[in-house]
Amino acid sequence: MTARTAHPTRPPPACEVGATLLELRDVKVGYGGITALKGVSLEVRRGEIVALVGANGAGKTTLLRTVLRLPGTQVSGSLRFDGKDLLALATEDVTALGIALVPEGRGVFPNLTVRENLDLGAWGHRDRRAMEESTHDVVTLFPRLGERMKQDAGTLSGGEQQMLAIGRALMARPAMLLLDEPSLGIAPKLVTSIFAAIRAIAAGGVTVLVVEQNTKVALSSSGRAYVVRTGELAREGASAELLADPQIQAAYLGG
Amino acid sequence: MKGVRSLAPFAVFAAVAFALELSLPRLVADSSVRQLLMLGGVNVLIALSLNVINGMAGQFSIGHAGFVGIGAYASAVVVANLQLKFPAELTFARSLWLVPAGALTGALVSAVFGLLVGLPSLRLRGDYLAIVTLGFAEIFRLLISTAAASETGGPGALLAKLGGQNGYAGPNELGVPQPAGPFWIFFAVMCVTLLALRLKFSGWGRALRALREDEIAAAAVGVDPTRYKVTSFVLSALGAGLAGGLLSIMRDGSPITQPDNFSFQMSFDAITMVILGGSGSVSGSILGAIFVTFTIKLIELLQATDAAQALKASHEWLDLNALRMVVYAAVLIAVMILRPEGVLGERELFQRRRGER
Repeated sequence: MTARTAHPTRPPPACEVGATLLELRDVKVGYGGITALKGVSLEVRRGEIVALVGANGAGKTTLLRTVLRLPGTQVSGSLRFDGKDLLALATEDVTALGIALVPEGRGVFPNLTVRENLDLGAWGHRDRRAMEESTHDVVTLFPRLGERMKQDAGTLSGGEQQMLAIGRALMARPAMLLLDEPSLGIAPKLVTSIFAAIRAIAAGGVTVLVVEQNTKVALSSSGRAYVVRTGELAREGASAELLADPQIQAAYLGG
Repeated sequence: MKGVRSLAPFAVFAAVAFALELSLPRLVADSSVRQLLMLGGVNVLIALSLNVINGMAGQFSIGHAGFVGIGAYASAVVVANLQLKFPAELTFARSLWLVPAGALTGALVSAVFGLLVGLPSLRLRGDYLAIVTLGFAEIFRLLISTAAASETGGPGALLAKLGGQNGYAGPNELGVPQPAGPFWIFFAVMCVTLLALRLKFSGWGRALRALREDEIAAAAVGVDPTRYKVTSFVLSALGAGLAGGLLSIMRDGSPITQPDNFSFQMSFDAITMVILGGSGSVSGSILGAIFVTFTIKLIELLQATDAAQALKASHEWLDLNALRMVVYAAVLIAVMILRPEGVLGERELFQRRRGER
């Protein structure tokens, strides 16, 4: 168990805003015999909030799993983060580069306390002082977590678990945050505040890629968006334009 | 200062174990009872080591006896040969180097096999580990018990030196020396208990719990699943090898190390100890080990009664050892109904509320 030397931090301020951070070129992904993504190209630039919307089964989750190099997929194409080839890396090395995932269905550890969940988020660097700072940041963002530090994560409400999952991802001090369906199974009122928190995180310098079925919320909180349909990109553009587009409205916003 | 403090418990353990070494023969006159107590200690080591992989890491190994057996044979061979090379009376002072030489060799050899077995099988899904460990333990046992003395060369001849079905009794067939008295057994039990507790409540233990609850989420925070599973498996094999290494050279124990002592029955006993006490709980594993040890002894005593002997005489096919399975089955079913997570669940006796710092 060697200590990790990599110490992911917030993006260096010297880097010009708008440089490409995550870049996918013609990425094809298969599970066993099934093709889930049939050649997707997209990019996310530093400081952006990019949304990836589309129906259930379109391949959105697959895309996030592919970026994080979670096992079980066959991938071809090019997948780069900050210029580095992700395809050559294992999951723990991808997280060490500064990518953090908030998994679908929250994925908190239910029998661990809130604090233990947060501590695990800092697993990559395990620097005591950075951990306390990050915990403080997370509690400032989600005061409710601060009240529930000693509680088992499984006893939290759905919305609180989502906050914990996001908080845990932030503990790694990522350069980029990937969120998989943060609105899933959460009360509408909380969805609004979760997305407000996501915007606050982005304003703090973290690049965000959010996957959502809730097209309306996702488009109104992001700068740019991609629409995925059965494994392919159907549309892309500024979120505001897509939101106003009659075709998109008919297909995804219920008229 | 911190280093001194973290070593202090081990000095205390050594003192307590030494007191036991001196007092046990006086307190307990019956050597079969002393043997039972020490066997209980070895079983605690077996349960604690299995708990690392089955309880803490949430993987399912059902071939623990294989690792105990490897440790037992390795230790027996080392100690018997050392004693033959440097013959002298087995004093306590002599045990101070003879026992560590045997037990640690047992632990290390077993850990190496743990790595060989764990590395390929833990990359796959959970069920594979069960199949592979079971197969491994049986292959180990059968390789030793079927090695024929008639073999003249190659690995077969080497294996045949381990005595085949009749067991290993040292290079001169006079029995394996038994230098490991109460001091060594109980010193090992106390040290391993403390290490298991420290392991469980360390960041490493927390990562394992996370892995058990949600492998994808754990991977997403940067915990490498394969590495942690393999490390736990190797640690588990290390502990099993230590237990076996002490078992084969235990005072008042059997001077012959036999392959059939490490059959599936032993693996099953070990699983029973862990599940009964509570998977993941260190104190639960200890309680489970004590319970199983005494159940086995109780059934043995029961078999010796006149009524049981008479019953056996009239029904020759009756195997009263199998009664153990009936008792376990009944107890396990009761536990499954009343407390599915085991007597203690994942908690410890005397545990503070989790999350406090």
